[in-house]
Amino acid sequence: MSTAMNFGSKTFQPRPPDKGSFPLDHFGECKSFKEKFMKCLRDNKFENALCRKESKAYLECRMERQLMAQEPLEKLGFGDLTDGKPKAETNS
Amino acid sequence: MGGLWRPPWRPVAFCGWRWSHRGSAARAAERVVPCLRPGRSGTGGAERALRRLGTWRRPSPASELALQPPPPPPPPRRPKSTNPFTRAQEEDWRRRNKTVLTYVAAAAVGMLGASYAAVPLYRLYCQTTGLGGSAVAGHASDQIENMVPVKDRIIKVTFNADVHASLQWNFRPQQTEIYVVPGETALAFYKAKNPTDKPVIGISTYNVVPFEAGQYFNKIQCFCFEEQRLNPQEEVDMPVFFYIDPEFAEDPRMVNVDLITLSYTFFEAKEGQQLPVPGYH
Repeated sequence: MSTAMNFGSKTFQPRPPDKGSFPLDHFGECKSFKEKFMKCLRDNKFENALCRKESKAYLECRMERQLMAQEPLEKLGFGDLTDGKPKAETNS
Repeated sequence: MGGLWRPPWRPVAFCGWRWSHRGSAARAAERVVPCLRPGRSGTGGAERALRRLGTWRRPSPASELALQPPPPPPPPRRPKSTNPFTRAQEEDWRRRNKTVLTYVAAAAVGMLGASYAAVPLYRLYCQTTGLGGSAVAGHASDQIENMVPVKDRIIKVTFNADVHASLQWNFRPQQTEIYVVPGETALAFYKAKNPTDKPVIGISTYNVVPFEAGQYFNKIQCFCFEEQRLNPQEEVDMPVFFYIDPEFAEDPRMVNVDLITLSYTFFEAKEGQQLPVPGYH
């Protein structure tokens, strides 16, 4: 958030999220899934492509416990994982 | 003698005066006569000419009433010349003046309308071209379904968390960075703790640096722009589910961009306060 008075330059326009806001997980119902995801990230040097199964599991946990609107996983970009053939190769 | 009376001949006197300033006064009277407006009834041309020279003395009211009929209404505007050719020319000029005036008035009204129409038109233009980081139209959920990750372009996304001075939460990201590719959805976590003994409501906004990359940074779901209430001594995980648009890899301006920083800032929200949510709806 810049407080500089530069009226000539373009400013950043925040956009609302596509599906709105996550309800807060006050009771920590999906905390174990989150811990698994964070551990996967730390083990794989924070590469997201290698931990997509864990993130899918976290979102599924949220959907089961009414902490997220139910959506088919393909619409969330997990189409490759739901087919059962995980695409986990990356070029680094 | 009448009091102050405004001489009606003043504009017409220039007609004669220009030519007669060298001659004698009598000659001037002769020259002035043709400049008189025809059709003005009165006591005669010579009398009116004398009036112009200031030697006319007003008749007594009784004789004035007897001599002068009530003045007719001023005639409609007529061409000043009596020559039929110049009169036709004057008519032509008058018509052309009217046409030009109509065009100018239409142009003025058109400019006013264009200035009103410019606002939605410019917004449409920005949405289609995506200039200035504004929202690019056409982001539907079926786009997420069909997008293909661009595997050879790895981008590092770092996370930053800020809190307004009046908000006493402990707000921090749970990972310092994450490596993603455009077209692949990614999950990241922030953590917030309310160490006070009172429930506090916060509301957050975000910022993406570099700012041109911000238009490709799409959040599917996050925790911003809505009030989030934390009970005393409560700690929660706040996820952000996002992806980078695959068109990022095709933008020539983004060739050198390898690092994107996502920064969230939490503010305290008062009860019942209505904050404007960004977006065009």
